[in-house]
Amino acid sequence: MTSDAQAVTSRVADVPLSPHFGWAWWLALLASGGLVALLGYTLISVTIIGVGVWGVNIPYVWGFDLINYAWWIGIANGASLFAATLVLRRHDLRTAVNRFAEGVALFAVICAGIFPIFHLGRPWLFYWTFPYPATFQVWPQFRSTLTWDFWAISTHVIVTSLLWYVGLIPDLATLRDRAKRPIVQRIYGVFALGWRGSVRHWAYHQRAYRLVAILVLPLILIMQSTVAFEFAVTLVPDWHETRQPLHFVATGLAQGLSIVLLVAVLLRWGLRLGRYIDEGDIDLLGKLVLASALVSAYLYIDEIAAALLSGGLTQEATFIRMTGEYAGLYWTAIVYSVVIPQLFWFRAARLSTVGGVFVGIAIGVGIWFDRFSIIVGGLQTDYLPSIGRGYSPTLPETGLFLGTIGLFAALLLLFVRFLPVVSMFETRHDEHEEKSS
Amino acid sequence: MTQRPCGIMAEFKTPEALIEAVRAAKRAGYTRLDAFSPFPLSDLAKELGVRTSVIPWIATVAGLVGAAIQYGSQYWMNAVDYPLNVGGRPLHSWPAFIPASLIVAILWAGAATLIGLLLILRLPRLHHPVFAVPGFERASEDRFFLCIMQDDPIFDNANVRTFFGGLSPLAVQEVPECG
Repeated sequence: MTSDAQAVTSRVADVPLSPHFGWAWWLALLASGGLVALLGYTLISVTIIGVGVWGVNIPYVWGFDLINYAWWIGIANGASLFAATLVLRRHDLRTAVNRFAEGVALFAVICAGIFPIFHLGRPWLFYWTFPYPATFQVWPQFRSTLTWDFWAISTHVIVTSLLWYVGLIPDLATLRDRAKRPIVQRIYGVFALGWRGSVRHWAYHQRAYRLVAILVLPLILIMQSTVAFEFAVTLVPDWHETRQPLHFVATGLAQGLSIVLLVAVLLRWGLRLGRYIDEGDIDLLGKLVLASALVSAYLYIDEIAAALLSGGLTQEATFIRMTGEYAGLYWTAIVYSVVIPQLFWFRAARLSTVGGVFVGIAIGVGIWFDRFSIIVGGLQTDYLPSIGRGYSPTLPETGLFLGTIGLFAALLLLFVRFLPVVSMFETRHDEHEEKSS
Repeated sequence: MTQRPCGIMAEFKTPEALIEAVRAAKRAGYTRLDAFSPFPLSDLAKELGVRTSVIPWIATVAGLVGAAIQYGSQYWMNAVDYPLNVGGRPLHSWPAFIPASLIVAILWAGAATLIGLLLILRLPRLHHPVFAVPGFERASEDRFFLCIMQDDPIFDNANVRTFFGGLSPLAVQEVPECG
């Protein structure tokens, strides 16, 4: 009685429904749980003691908080952009990677959101950025990019999580119907909201889902630009550039794609989903990563060209960033985000699990160093004589960064454990189309 | 859709059989039909006369309202209620009000579309009479169902059963009386 469609369902659905998941998952969850505990500790310490526990001070008022914020936003936006494009193009790849690309985006934006709230110093007053009738009768200053950012982050969290959840509803219904234990049936049943697969429901569901996927596209371009504007609107010579949004959007896309590739390769290997995330998908994703690394390379060249054209203090600032005290950050960024991805010219490297993990991590690391180089290295030259002290992250800052990586990994592990990582209904649909054509 | 969707349900093995059955049912004069499938069947939705054009309207209207509220509140707060002179720049600096207006338009449009979707579909509704049909759990896996509702003007238990019988379904079952 097993048909092809049922085989698809069971391979993917068996993962969240299986009562045992192996020691490797528990070990990974334990490790990331440890990092989440570290995150909790560092957040409590910065809340109780204050931002003095961080290495930031004038002129380096932004350290790991903004570096990691910009980095996580890059991942979130790159992954969202990728997922939305797949939905719109009705690409075959969509079935395989769309669901967890959205998951990656959602978890990354959750990690990103932690930084701006805690870098306020008094995180419990973060709601002051929201325009509410306060007793002291002031309103937020909307001519500041920082208030735009409040809207951008909250919108991204709300819209991405809604889109992700609505896309999951039919698959939650499948899990509800396949679950054997009543308690599991009930849990999935509640979250499936009583989805019954009516053709009428499907039509509305697909229309709404695709429409919101379109809406996500401009959102992430605006959002990443807003992050870049926070630098561009200052008078710091290295930051005060109109090319800043383009730099953040394009390198952020490279980084988002690389993390999607990393997760795809790991899932394929860890959950043995080779049939649903096939060689063609991984190959295509590898080519996209390579192409986006080339775009990053173009932007690094553009950075130099812009500096050469501008002259004066702007030029000096850019070149000090490349040769001065923090030059290592810049060159690490170049090597990791541009040079190493060139491995992907070789098909064997694109298809190998090791190659995918290596390049995926490399671009992530590279763009992280790029943000570090911009935020810290870019501040070395200013119109005012600098106080002559440098920036180096303190232990609580490092802990905060590692903690968000742990949080991201833990959310991803729980997602993999309890939800279908590959859209089952889309796979069924595609297999049916293949058979009938 | 009615609040009393009790009727007779036939189970089919393939989407093609389901589409055939819907066409046959329409030819036979049945109007109160609902079909169930494990994946979207856009042709069948057209066949059943499902019109989803309200969705983009929800998004457009909600987006425009959101943008207008955001722009208006920015203008009112920063130029009227709490004017703050920042380096002599104009109080109504409209370019600075655009990014947040666009973002909030997307927030309203996205949230309204997805929440509106659930309202249109009348979900969450955890219990529904069709779930009582034995084997209906495979509607989320690999089986296709067609239901003719009891409130169809020409509904007649025996006739519907005979009609379904002619389509060679896997099974024909009654959706139990609700309430």
